[in-house]
Amino acid sequence: MDLTLFTQLVISGILLGGIYALASIGLTLIFGVMKIVNFAHGEFLMLGMYLSFWLHHYFHMDPYLSILVVIPVFFLIGIVVYRLIIAPTLGAPILTQIFVTVGLSIVIENLALLLWSADFRTITLAYLKAPLILGPFPHLGIEEIIVDIKRLIAFVIGLSISVIFYLVLKYSYTGKVIRATSQDRSTALLMGINIGKVYMLTFGIGIVLVGIAGALMIPIYTVHPFVGFEFVLIMFVVVVLGGLGSIPGAVIAGLFIGVVEIFSSFLIGPSSKQAIYFLVFIAVLVIRPSGLFGIKGEEELEHIEAIG
Amino acid sequence: MSILKPLAEKVKNPQMAAILIALAALATAPLFISNEFYLDGFVLVFLWGAFAGAWNILGGYAGMVSLGHNAFFAIGAYTSTLLFLNFGLSPWLGMIVGAMFAALVGVVLGLICFRLRSHYFALATLAFGQVSFIIAINWRSVTQGAEGLALPIEPDLSNMLFAGKLPYVYMGLILFLIVLAVSFAIEHSRLGYYLTAFRENEDAARALGVRTGRVRLIAIAVSAFLSAVTGTFYAQYVVYIDPISVSRLQLSVQVALFAIVGGLASSLGPAIGAIIFVPITILLRAKLGTSLPGLHMIIYATVLILVLLYMPKGIYGTLREKFFPDT
Repeated sequence: MDLTLFTQLVISGILLGGIYALASIGLTLIFGVMKIVNFAHGEFLMLGMYLSFWLHHYFHMDPYLSILVVIPVFFLIGIVVYRLIIAPTLGAPILTQIFVTVGLSIVIENLALLLWSADFRTITLAYLKAPLILGPFPHLGIEEIIVDIKRLIAFVIGLSISVIFYLVLKYSYTGKVIRATSQDRSTALLMGINIGKVYMLTFGIGIVLVGIAGALMIPIYTVHPFVGFEFVLIMFVVVVLGGLGSIPGAVIAGLFIGVVEIFSSFLIGPSSKQAIYFLVFIAVLVIRPSGLFGIKGEEELEHIEAIG
Repeated sequence: MSILKPLAEKVKNPQMAAILIALAALATAPLFISNEFYLDGFVLVFLWGAFAGAWNILGGYAGMVSLGHNAFFAIGAYTSTLLFLNFGLSPWLGMIVGAMFAALVGVVLGLICFRLRSHYFALATLAFGQVSFIIAINWRSVTQGAEGLALPIEPDLSNMLFAGKLPYVYMGLILFLIVLAVSFAIEHSRLGYYLTAFRENEDAARALGVRTGRVRLIAIAVSAFLSAVTGTFYAQYVVYIDPISVSRLQLSVQVALFAIVGGLASSLGPAIGAIIFVPITILLRAKLGTSLPGLHMIIYATVLILVLLYMPKGIYGTLREKFFPDT
């Protein structure tokens, strides 16, 4: 493999991984704070893609501009779902928590099928058709590198949002409250934090983040009712690899999985990519279940006292 | 025969009598039905009831949520079918081979994943089930990939293939009753108490000397064994298998749904879940499947969510509490 090809593959992988990262941080945030795995996360991604698609279809709204619509709509959806389905299961056995979101994923997926049929839908943005060509860089021995602009935009916006969100979580008062709840909910409760409000906010933000990912993905991917399932498995791999609950972990793991996918598709063949994800996934669970950046011991069996 | 003693005692009480009458009705009704569509319904009720019962042994009694039972089902279906097609081995033997293989795989999975906390366990089993799907799709030289495998239509008892539907109804019934009996036996044995103790409070169970790792390995082995038997039965009934029909994740979700809606951690719960839900699904799909695609799944999943939120003990658990509070 020459250096040009190698660089090309790394760049493609990182751009792909940026999308995975943005799609996954909401999932890891919700788990980190609420200790709930949102099995419907892929379906919210699908809804984000659809919302952006329909806004483009009916109002010719640019998918990147549609993010401004996605944010309030998805925050609202997140809050309603939290109120109706998530909040009542907070102190319930884990089986209940798992299957309400599994049930929710089935409902959303089939609602999309019922409303919008199984047709594959795509947006083609005329102004983004031509790829960006970098180089050549003769002194590095690298020839021309082709960059897909849509992926570059998704990567830049996605990563900026991840970073901004991370900083907000780290330095703002609300962010501190969310982190405090995530670290020790009993103590947070004792400190007068309104846990229910924090959960509602967290869930809403998590859904907004995945909705944005959907809007960024619609210029690249085809949307159909089952697209969420295709991506949710990758998201699980990303968040477990990064450490459930860790946002920097999800970003780094997302980039890593993107690069692994591109290289394995190129070297072994595209059908191998799923097998590779799951080998990584199982290896992580066997060797270091807390992931790269997770809190050690988090994954071990232990009973957490439920707080209503 | 210590297991039979509680059974004998229970026959005396009205609840058990009702159950036995219901089972007798379920067993004799197919004799008076000639409509293929309804007979197919009976086979499917028994098939999914048995699979849901098998899932419940790990997911219900031990409380370990598995989203990977499709792998065990696929192992059963593929092992017996491949042994029959390639080596002419009778599916009766192939069924046992597949079931033992599934039990072994289950034990290995347990050894790797039982230290994980529930959410991680669910995710790990999800990956495990998905790996079975990937293998079934990509290992074309053996499984024929997405093309699938068809069994030759040579009705014969030794091939476990029959011309009419009625033999399948009774094979299904026997399988259904075996799973019910195994679940009942577990429920009323030390193993069942240990599993319940583990589910309710692992630390306390360990402190009292329950070997929580070992009992869960037994549970996953039994659960995988019975799931694989169900898989073979499916292959013999449909005479065609492919990765989507026997190895998709939705199978695990579906049987979990039957078990949850019927009532977890009881031998009858999953059976009741299947008896109520399978016919509803068949009818909804037949009536609405083409005009309103997906609606039957929406109804399905909405019931699941509502049961989880408002009736966490399931239909059987709730009815039992209401009518037989002291059992």
